[in-house]
Amino acid sequence: MNLLPSLVLALSPPAWLDDAGADHLSVMPAVHNWAIQRLPAFARDMHGTGVGHAMAYEAMARGEVGSLETATFNRIDRVLHNPPRNPVDEASISPTFIRQYGALEKVFDWAHLLHFQTIDVLIHPGWSQARRDQEIEKLWRNYQSQPYALTGLPMNMEFLSSSPYDGAFRRAYPKVNGLFWGYHWLQTAAYDMLYEIEPRDQIPQYVVLGDQYRRIELYRTNRDFMPMTAEMSPRFSKRFPMIANAFDNLHMLHDNVNDILAQDWEKPRKQAEVKAAITRVLASTHADEEPGEGEGLHDHEHVPSVPGMGKMKGSDGDIMFMSGMGWMDMSRCAHCSIPLPEETATVSANGWTMVVRCLACARDMAAETPGQAIIRTRIQGSSRTLVMISDEEGNWQSNIQGVVFLEQTGEHPECADWSRAFATSEGFDAFVRENQISGASPLSLQSWSERNLGRPPTYRKIDRPNPYGVKD
Amino acid sequence: MKKLVLLILIFGVMGVVSAHEADCPYCAEKIVQNTDKQDNEVVVKVGNKRIEYRCLYCVIKDQRRYKGDLVVYAPSEKVGSPVVIKRTGGKWVGPEKMVVLNVFKKHTECAALSRAFSTREALDAYVKRNNVQNAKALSLKEFIELVEKPVQK
Repeated sequence: MNLLPSLVLALSPPAWLDDAGADHLSVMPAVHNWAIQRLPAFARDMHGTGVGHAMAYEAMARGEVGSLETATFNRIDRVLHNPPRNPVDEASISPTFIRQYGALEKVFDWAHLLHFQTIDVLIHPGWSQARRDQEIEKLWRNYQSQPYALTGLPMNMEFLSSSPYDGAFRRAYPKVNGLFWGYHWLQTAAYDMLYEIEPRDQIPQYVVLGDQYRRIELYRTNRDFMPMTAEMSPRFSKRFPMIANAFDNLHMLHDNVNDILAQDWEKPRKQAEVKAAITRVLASTHADEEPGEGEGLHDHEHVPSVPGMGKMKGSDGDIMFMSGMGWMDMSRCAHCSIPLPEETATVSANGWTMVVRCLACARDMAAETPGQAIIRTRIQGSSRTLVMISDEEGNWQSNIQGVVFLEQTGEHPECADWSRAFATSEGFDAFVRENQISGASPLSLQSWSERNLGRPPTYRKIDRPNPYGVKD
Repeated sequence: MKKLVLLILIFGVMGVVSAHEADCPYCAEKIVQNTDKQDNEVVVKVGNKRIEYRCLYCVIKDQRRYKGDLVVYAPSEKVGSPVVIKRTGGKWVGPEKMVVLNVFKKHTECAALSRAFSTREALDAYVKRNNVQNAKALSLKEFIELVEKPVQK
């Protein structure tokens, strides 16, 4: 597919792109603002991503691309190892970039504010989940009220990455591209760490995720594609698909811009291409369009069971290629391949997050994966989401003391029934009684941790070549 | 010993292989799947985890990430009968007659050329059948010493 240039020419960029103005964007006033500082390590890493972006863009705008993989990378890396306690005004780090690409910076800033404010809502203490959802809806309406807003519609990722210059940046500057995709990993993985999770249960998760980010994700140079929000935070993306789409469109815009700035073109041509890239993903370009409709640039088809993720390269219905995991059917359990029920669990390990049918599937999938892992699921008898974290050896700890498990092993098509967790043994007893399950006794967390059901006989590997052609 | 036999029985019934075909945690190459004729997946059991590796060399190179005791199920010359080696309190122990072949130059070849065998005769037969050059039968101790050297394979 190589349709992009001709369609881009047909688009008329909005007038404000030629006159960005000097008005500074600001957060919507709210009591939740800067609640992120309650998770200091996470806040500092997030502030560091802004500095990293700005330093790389300033080097590119100043024509110093030759230093990207060496001096600039080292400078950014130093900041990422010592991230700022407070957000840094990117304009103070990248003045040349802002003079040349002011409108782009406005688009970035506006979306980054949405990032921070939605995170703040999810961290702010004392609110019910319903209240948080309302606040996030309000933030989304506020975001969409400005012309700089990106569309919340799913965009065809294959289409957006089909320009002749696509991939130029990651091929020429793999280390700095790795940093960008590392930032985007953090920004997308954070949402399921926070969503429907009480603030007291968020900090322990960031011990795991922050370590993964700082040690591994920032330095990965072998990803096939940028991290997608619905891959990294499926629970949040299911509830707020428009926000997941907007973040993916933002991150794709970053990739497009990087590819443009990596070209050996004169500045006017780069500026024109950047404007075209912005226009492609603006909400105004796609006004009154609907998910699942349109063609080409206006193809808003999404992975059917994932409304918060645009069509991916090579995807075929629910079957899509996930970097690091291979081909997956997004409508089925990642472990046992049985279709997903309405209530699911997720398991995060080694940088990925997968949706599974039951806790046995989650535990056994984590047991096959090196490193620490996190399981998240709603459970009966508690309004608190169950968050379990395992160490390197698969020993699990739970945020709910006294959690007990039912695991009356049966066939996987019914695993969501026979593998469950309960906040109390009374809840377990009531469930067993109501469902007339004979011979069931509650498993403690330790007993449950030591079990392993091995390879589910229902598991089906989808064997197709890597559509990105990077490796088999 | 009783515990080890029990482990083997348990995993013999359940199968030690993982459900998902992943990349090796050490060399990042694809893990070669077991076939009807030859086992290939090296499984490390650590605590409640069982992690697959591409070859025995990768396991030894990556062993320091695990603090606890390890049980390694290394594919042998016989399908379904791994050579079981253990790291207990930091000390490696394997069956008395086991030997290791370790002659790969690149990790694309490690699954075929870094393998355990229950006997010297089994290694010789494998070497002959696969026309392996420069083969040498290493004891477990020699193999681990070789792998632990910083550069040399």
